[in-house]
Amino acid sequence: MIVTAILAGLVLGGTYALIAMGLTLQYGIARIMNLAYGDMIITAAFLAFALYSGAGINPLIGLAIAAPAGFILGYAVYALMMHPLVARAKDRVSLETDSILATFGLLFVIQGVLFVIFGGNYTSYSYLNVPVTILGTNIAANRLLAFVLAVVIGGLLYLALTRTRWGTALRAVAVSPSSAALVGIDVDRQARFAFALGGALAACGGVVISMYQTFTAASGVVFTMKALIVVIMGGVGNVLGALSAGLILGLVETFVATYLDPGLTLAATYLIFLVILLWRPSGLFGRSAR
Amino acid sequence: MLEIGDLSLRYGQHLALDQVNLRAAKGETVVILGANGAGKSSLLKSIAGMVKPVAGSSIALEGRVLTGRPAHEIVEMGVALVPEGRGIFGDLTVEENLLLGAYAKRARNGESSRRAFVYELFPKLAQRRAQYANTMSGGEQQMVAIGRALMSAPDFLMLDEPSLGLAPVVVTELFATLRRVRETGVGLIIVEQNVKVSLSIADRGYLMEAGRIVGEDTAEALLRDPAVQRAFLGMNTETSK
Repeated sequence: MIVTAILAGLVLGGTYALIAMGLTLQYGIARIMNLAYGDMIITAAFLAFALYSGAGINPLIGLAIAAPAGFILGYAVYALMMHPLVARAKDRVSLETDSILATFGLLFVIQGVLFVIFGGNYTSYSYLNVPVTILGTNIAANRLLAFVLAVVIGGLLYLALTRTRWGTALRAVAVSPSSAALVGIDVDRQARFAFALGGALAACGGVVISMYQTFTAASGVVFTMKALIVVIMGGVGNVLGALSAGLILGLVETFVATYLDPGLTLAATYLIFLVILLWRPSGLFGRSAR
Repeated sequence: MLEIGDLSLRYGQHLALDQVNLRAAKGETVVILGANGAGKSSLLKSIAGMVKPVAGSSIALEGRVLTGRPAHEIVEMGVALVPEGRGIFGDLTVEENLLLGAYAKRARNGESSRRAFVYELFPKLAQRRAQYANTMSGGEQQMVAIGRALMSAPDFLMLDEPSLGLAPVVVTELFATLRRVRETGVGLIIVEQNVKVSLSIADRGYLMEAGRIVGEDTAEALLRDPAVQRAFLGMNTETSK
């Protein structure tokens, strides 16, 4: 049973890590607290569902469609909604407040549109729903694929952010925007790009979630909260932190559900959140942007 | 040639810079002296594009207009600033700081030889490539800041109070290093409280007071100038006779 729990925890944690990486880019680099983040995830989940059950398009191809679409959507949201706020913001705090209010509105717009198109029912589709045996325990192939995708996408992003000048420049904006400008980095452009990249990751997360979970048009807020908790656990702007914290949260949730009571999962999540906010407000791993 | 003409800067009601005129030839070392609040930092920030001067101000490098351009473009045009407080990326390693120093397109050619030069100037940085910058001492952080700025292949390097908060022996070392930077042909514009040591490596100096340039002379003449001695060197020329 413990192997089953660990595997299930890693699958869930991988998904959390993936979606948290996108939010940490948006919050850490673009400095926008995007409350509609989870709804962008769910939009992608519905897109994958529609493509698969409507047109028989494989979710892996759905992923290849959703990721660039998420990038474009993120870019558009930044250009149309966020840029005016950035331009008039006096400091980081006022931008945070404004962006929270603006994206809170966006959340309901996206949710409303999803309700109209897809209704309020729980949605899922059956893709690769065949058991695979790993370490003597059975796991659905779609979950395994979800985990592999999270590891590959998250790992590639991590390498790009830490091993290239391009990625280091993005992290530099998270560390200090004013210093970034002094080495020739166009901070505005990086912020727009980071927000769009966050949108692409949200879309990837959404497709991955749709492969093995049921979801509704109202599920967005749950994923926003989970991603936010992971981001804060990992340290804002800290990509490796988001990866590790995501896996930890997935394991904790699964263990609580398996050994205590499934009803306590959310309670455990928020307990971790509270403990970290109180004792390690800069995250488990301290410094940002590593 | 970096030419600044009638540069004025306002912070709300406060006139921080009042029709400042200043020039620095390529390869020249210029020191700007003045009391706290005289506008020295504002001058460097204006040149670097961190603040927007009022209309009618002009900043030009080899005839190309810098006025009103954003900070990241100024770097691309060949003027780098080591700001007050150094402005390094504390949560990144020494190596990453230098990598970002060469972010500008102009800096990509000859990047590796410039990195070798920076590591030769500051052997300590070479030993600590993988160390996070914010875990280093003040003097070492200043090395990171100067090294990072040099990586952008600047024609002019501006330094805002580089000696601030450093031990005297470290200051001496720092200016010995700046002398070597100067020999490579980079123009230096240095704002300093430490008048003696900064004038010792400079060609010329400007005196600032309340946002205006109130004097300009060669470094030797300024070192001998009784007004400078009284104001900045703590010497009372009347009684020292």
